[in-house]
This record gives sequence, C-alpha cells and structure tokens, in this order.
Amino acid sequence: MVAVIDVQAGEKAPGRLSQEAIWGLIFLVPYIVLFLTLVIYPVGYGLILGTNPKSYVRLWTDPVFTRTIVNTVVFLGVAVNIKLFLALLLSGFFVHEKRWIRWLSVIFILPWAIPSIPTILSFRWMLNAEWGMLNSLIFRLTLEDGPNWLLDRWSGLGMISLVHIWKYLPFWTLIMLAGRLAIPKDLYESADVDGASPLQKFFYVTFPSMRNLYITCTLLSTIMSLGDFNSIYLLTGGGPADSTQTLATLGIRYAFGMSEVEVGVTTVVVALPVMLPLLVLMLRRMRKGEQP
Amino acid sequence: MSLRKVLVEARLMLLGVIIFVWTLIPIYHLFVMSITPRVETFAGALWPSRPTLENYETVVKQGHYYLEHFWQQLWNSAFVAVMVCVITLVIASTATFAISRLRVRGGRLVSNMALATYLIPPAFLAIPMYKVMGVYGLLNTQWSLILTMVTFASPYAIWVLKQYADKLPYELDEAARIDGASPLQIFRLIYLPLMAPSLVAIGTYALLLAWNEYLYAFLLLSADKDITLAVALGHFLTTDDAPFNVLMATGAVYALPPAAIYYVFRRYMVSGLTAGAVKS
Amino acid sequence: MASVSVEAVRKRYGALEVVHGIDIAIPDGEFVVLVGPSGCGKSTLLRMIAGLEEISGGIVRIGERVVNEIPSKDRDIAMVFQNYALYPHMTVRENMGFSLKLRKADRDTIGERVKRASEILGLDALLDRYPKQLSGGQRQRVAMGRAIVRNPQVFLFDEPLSNLDAKLRVQMRTEIKALHQQLKTTSIYVTHDQIEAMTMADRIVVMHDGIVEQIGTPLELYDRPANLFVAGFIGSPAINLIRGTLRRDAARSWVSTDAGIDLPLNGNIIGQDGQAVVYGIRPEHLSPSDSQGLPVTVGVVEPTGASTFVYADLSGAQICGVFSERHGFNPGGKMHLMPQLDRVHLFDSATGRRLSA
Repeated sequence: MVAVIDVQAGEKAPGRLSQEAIWGLIFLVPYIVLFLTLVIYPVGYGLILGTNPKSYVRLWTDPVFTRTIVNTVVFLGVAVNIKLFLALLLSGFFVHEKRWIRWLSVIFILPWAIPSIPTILSFRWMLNAEWGMLNSLIFRLTLEDGPNWLLDRWSGLGMISLVHIWKYLPFWTLIMLAGRLAIPKDLYESADVDGASPLQKFFYVTFPSMRNLYITCTLLSTIMSLGDFNSIYLLTGGGPADSTQTLATLGIRYAFGMSEVEVGVTTVVVALPVMLPLLVLMLRRMRKGEQP
Repeated sequence: MSLRKVLVEARLMLLGVIIFVWTLIPIYHLFVMSITPRVETFAGALWPSRPTLENYETVVKQGHYYLEHFWQQLWNSAFVAVMVCVITLVIASTATFAISRLRVRGGRLVSNMALATYLIPPAFLAIPMYKVMGVYGLLNTQWSLILTMVTFASPYAIWVLKQYADKLPYELDEAARIDGASPLQIFRLIYLPLMAPSLVAIGTYALLLAWNEYLYAFLLLSADKDITLAVALGHFLTTDDAPFNVLMATGAVYALPPAAIYYVFRRYMVSGLTAGAVKS
Repeated sequence: MASVSVEAVRKRYGALEVVHGIDIAIPDGEFVVLVGPSGCGKSTLLRMIAGLEEISGGIVRIGERVVNEIPSKDRDIAMVFQNYALYPHMTVRENMGFSLKLRKADRDTIGERVKRASEILGLDALLDRYPKQLSGGQRQRVAMGRAIVRNPQVFLFDEPLSNLDAKLRVQMRTEIKALHQQLKTTSIYVTHDQIEAMTMADRIVVMHDGIVEQIGTPLELYDRPANLFVAGFIGSPAINLIRGTLRRDAARSWVSTDAGIDLPLNGNIIGQDGQAVVYGIRPEHLSPSDSQGLPVTVGVVEPTGASTFVYADLSGAQICGVFSERHGFNPGGKMHLMPQLDRVHLFDSATGRRLSA
C-alpha cells in the first residue's frame, strides 16, 4: 500500500515548468517582441493597405507599371543567372591553392564589404555620357562619342545588372567556393585514376555535387535581387522617364515620390503570388539539411 | 616545368588579371575622382594632371554646403552601426540559446519565423515599416533606423548562430548543470565563450549591414543632424551640379571603416557566414 | 557518500515506454555496473538518477532524500560522460575547479581541492593545458578529476571508456577501480561491455529491453545466470547453447538434441521429462576427451598463446571450447568434448528461466 502511494508521489506533477523551460521562454522574449512589433505588424499593415481595389486599377492603367514588371523579370533573369554562373566558374579559379590567388581573393571581396553608395555613385559618374571616364576614353581612342549608357532603357538595365553583378558576385563566389571545398578530394583522385579530363571532371564530379547548391543559390539570389533597391535607385534613379524602374524601386516612387502610399504597397502585394511560392520552396530547402 | 604547366599557369594569371581589373575599376575611379581638383572634375581623365588632397581637406573641415554636419553624420553612422551590432547580438544569442540549448517548446516555430523573415526583401517592407514607425512615434529618430536594421539583421544572425549552436556537444550543458550551473550561468560561462567566433562573425555582419544601409536611413531620418553619412551622400544627387570630387572623397572616407573592419575579422566572416548562408 | 535507491522507476516518451519499472537498491560505497546491449535503458536510467531526464514514474532516492523533483545541481552527484564533456575554453585547472567556483568556494579551497585531485590522478603537470592539447586518456582523467574535486555523494559514469583504444581502456579500468577503493564513493557505472562490468563491479545489474534481468556479483552472474539472456551476455567467448529435450528416468537425466545426441547432466535438475530446454556450457568448461562427451568435428583452431580456442561442429550446432593445455587439434578431425557436469546450465526453452538448482 505504501509503495503504491509512493509511486504516485513520484509521478511528475503536470503543468509545472522546469527552470530550463522558464529561462528558455525568457530568452526568447526579445526576439518574439521584435518579431511581433516589427515584422508581423508592418506585414499586416502592408497587407491591409494593399486591399484597396482602386490601387489595382491605378496600377493596371499605369504604363509605368507594366514596363516595370518587364524590367524586373529581365533584370532577374539576366543578373541572377549571369552572376551565379560566373560565381560557379570563379569558384573554380579561387579553389587553386596559390599564394597570389589567396591575395587576389582578399581584393575580390571588396565590392561586397564596402557600402554600395560610394561605389555605385562612382559607376554612375564613370558612365556619365558627357564627362565620364569611360566615354572620354572612347572618345580619345575612336574620336567618336560613346553611347548614352544610362539614358536608354535597355542599356540602363544592362548597366544596372552590371553593377548588381559587380556588387554581389564575390558573396556568391564564396558560397560556391565553400560548396566546392566540401566535395571529397578522393572523388577527383579516383576520376584522375580513371583518366578523366578537366572538363569531364567538371561535368561528372563537380557539377553533380554542386547542383543542389546551385539551385538553392538561384532561388535565394532571385528573392534577394528582387529587393535590390540600391543598384537601380543610385545608378539611374529609375530613369530616364521611369523606364528602368523595378518592383523594389517603384513602390518607393509611388509612396514617397507621388504620395500614393496604398498604390506603393500594392506594387509589392502584386508580387506576392510569385514571391510566396519561391519563399516556401526556399524555406523547405534551407530546413532540409538541418538536424531536428 | 613542362609546357603544359606553364600554359595552365598563364591561363590562371590571365584570369587573375581580369578579375583584378574588374574588381578595382569603380574603386579606382572613386579614388581618382577623390584626388582630382575641382577644375578637372569634368575632364574624365584616367589620372588627374594635378592630384590633390584638397577634397579630403574639404571633407574633414566640413568646408562644403553638403558637408556642414560631416562629423556629426559620421558619428551617427557609427552610433547606429554599433547599436545594431550590440542589440542583434543580444537578441540572436539569447534566442538561439533558448532554441538550441534549452530546447524550449516552440523553439522550432520561432526559428522558422526568423528564417521566413530573412527571406523577405527589406525593400518590400519599406512603406509599411515607415508607417509603423510613425505609429510608434519613432520617425525621424535614430532608434527607428536602429530597430529596423536589428529586425533585418537578427533573422540571419539567428539562422547562422543556430547552426553553430546545434553543433556544440549537448553534454557540455549537462556537465555544467551537474556541476551546479543555472541556465543563466551556462549561457554566460559556457555558451557565449564557445560561440565567440561566430558571434564575432555575426556582430561584424550586423555592424556592416547597418553602416552600409541607405534606403531605410533615407526614409526614416530627415534632419541634417540626425542622418547617417549614407543619406548625406545621397543628398549630393539632388542637384545636377554636385561637387563630384568632394562626393567621392566623402565616399572614400565612408567606405574605409567597413573595409577595415571586414579585413580585421575576415577570418571569422568567411567561414562563419558562408557556412550558414546556404545549405544544400 | 550515500546509498541510492531506485524504486519502480519508469521512463516514457509520449506513449512509448522505454524503462518498465526498475528496482535497484545500492548501499553506500558500492560500485554498481549497469550493463546491457544498446537500447536496453541503462543510460536512460542513469540520466534519470542524474536529473538529466525527467522521471516518468517511480522514485529515485539519494541517501534518504527523494530527488525526483530536485534539479541535477542540487543532487550532489558528479558524472563522467562518454565524450568527457570537458569545457574546451577552460584549462584543466578551470575545468576541475568549475563546480566549486559555481558554489562560490573561496580561491584557496578550490586550489587545494584541485591540487589534491590532480595528485591522485597524476595530472599535476597538465593543469594549465586546454582539453584539445590532451590525449584521450588524459582527457578521461580530467573528466574523472572534475568529478572527484566535488567530493560528491555519488559518482555516475556513462560509458566513460568507450572512446579509448583497447589498451588504454584496460588501464583506465584498473585505475577507476583503484580510485573507488581509495575514495569509497558510491558509484554507478554504465557500460555495454560485459568484461568492463565483470572486472569493475561489486555488483552488476544486467538490463535488457527496459527491465532488469538479474542483479548479482560478477561471479554469481557467471556461475548462476538466472536466464538465457544473462547466460548469453556474460562471459567471453560466449556460452554454448544447444537446444534439446529434457529426458529423465529413474537413474539419471540427460538432454537429447534434435540431432539425436545425448548431452550429459548431473542430478540437480528441476524439470520434467519431455520438456523443451536449452543446454548451456561455457567454452572453458569443456575438456578434450577420447570417447566421452559430445562428438564433434573440429573446424577452426585459434591459438592465442595462453589458451587455444577451438570452434567445432556438433551435428550442425557450433560449439566453442577454450583449453589452456596445448593439445594437437586437427581441423576436420573428429574428437569428443566432455562438459564439467557441475558447470552445466539448463534453461527452459519457452521462458528462458534457469532450471538447474
């Protein structure tokens, strides 16, 4: 009888939190507060601002908007793919273990480490049609005026992509380099033994091992590049005549340039049907490699 | 060396030169413009005929209309960056400790929320964030910028720190518990010291993110005495006859601290950030 | 120092119960080894005693105190982990003094206790090194040092030697045992290695599938295994187990195998004629004979120097024998192996229980 009572006394009382659980909650509070006040609230606020049907009509009838959609798709398609392909190739360059290549990699990181504003403004001046270093050089060599780099929609978008690639190529190269370094060396050694050429090694060893990483990078880079405000705003300002706007800059233009806040938010809401699947896909991929 | 090896080496060298030039062109241009005297600003020369430090002198002495508050703005940039760094570290280290080490209930949900936030492009949240800061009455104060940058820095910080925290052997915490440590003591005496390298990486990341930020600084701050150097640089764009050489000198001064900080902590940054950035 | 008692202790993860009500009473100063295959619940039980796992049911007492709801740090125990769990950012000295520092002991006391522990373990020269600068055996010793500095009521060991190489393991085994004889602190030691259990324990608890199979001194378990599981688990090389039917008549008892071979028994048998049984004889209790005992065909012969292992075939059943004399064994040749009758173990085939008295 005594034993029975003892056993029941030994059962864990429900609803009591251990010291660890209490401290765990306390330690989570700062982030949860931040999340609720500065993520959930603004996101909700934005979604509500984006419910006015008039904004959609306004956007649909604004030729700038349709042009912006095209620009955004072109910018993402060109900039992201060229950037990541170059990153994949360059990671194969930086993987060589030579002293001078290590030094070069230190310099190569600069665009990513230093702020956008001075470097993009530097680009902007350099590409200036009348006074820029580039066109002066072209004039001196050919005695002809160079193109209006930033004053035309397509060359403007091209330059925007160039600046974007210049800025973010180092980061993605580092990621790809990490991916390459994670490939076991004996795979290459056994390929060597089998008499594979460098190109064959790339196609049969490197690429299969990196394919997953490459896809993840493409998704992530697409999402991030969608939000690249600086490369556009600081280089062309969306001009000339709003011909080089993307979704990241257009919303700001409506909201702060033309005081149409609801329309500004709506440009972002319009992107959600494309954004959300990307986001979910990306979340899944990033979660997958993780231990529970 | 065989001919083949020489050829391979030569190809690498060629590629190296291309990478070198490509990387440095705008930085070289920035530097050249910053030492170009005013009269030559529009010459578009590869090297000024009379290199000068007068632009830097103008910057340091606040000798231009656009630079009236240069030192104040430099301080503002530093203040915002340091605060973002400290607050991000506090929030991310406590959250990851709770999720990964104390294994708090709902921790997984929180880390999922953080990851989802990381995937929202900051530019897309600009308008609602501006409105919300208005609601909180923080508009035109540096705290609005600080909190915003913490919001965008901490998800990635949590993601990266969690990966490292998950790798620490759990027995260390158990040994410490048996040794008599409270959760707070485990955090202070075991977790923080062992996470130091990744905390350095994350701290540097947050610091640079805040120092380099333009969009939110430009939206949330307006008074000349409150704005960061990034916004001040943007102001040069408002007129067509901006003194570009002075602008470039200011830009060089502005770019120097993050470059220096990056190189000091490069060892931690590269491994710390790339490991967490993408998992395949 | 204190006794430890485990009463009807259970562990559930959700609906899954992994420890099914265990009772063990450990008197003060005893060295008890929990042994069993992986997944048997021995580590879980140890961690419940340590306070690292919640106790789903039953009671754990340390001394007179019920500790179910008491956090680890207040149970006055010390634990040595499998991977040592040394704090990588602290020197050996700081590792060993950490628990005392947390208890706000003054500097002199910490210094003195660390010094004494390091003398016992021969760590004096290593006190200012970091764990990564130590060899596996040294790390193991620091982990022990961290435990004894505390002077706790109970030592808990969770497979502490399994990360060491074979030679070092044997050496540390002896050291831990010597240490226990010196300090006489109640110790609970978890291992999956039955040799470790046999050589170190005052008493062994054999666990299997979340229950206790048998508790006893090493020799009790060896001489009188309570069931088939314990018989098979204790002893190396493992006991020979042969299935058959118990036969009894007025004069004698024997076991008849399915292949029709008769295995001899002595008289002290419980059981009925015709009962399905398992006949157990340890390899070291067989001796070569010309015509008596089990007729076998010699297979593989492994001389180790001190003794010779012979693996032989008994009408389809594999039999192992260990002999200290050097007989000339011919692989493929026929011979007889005679069991020592008082060393034969008989088990019920259905329940696995021991039948011999």
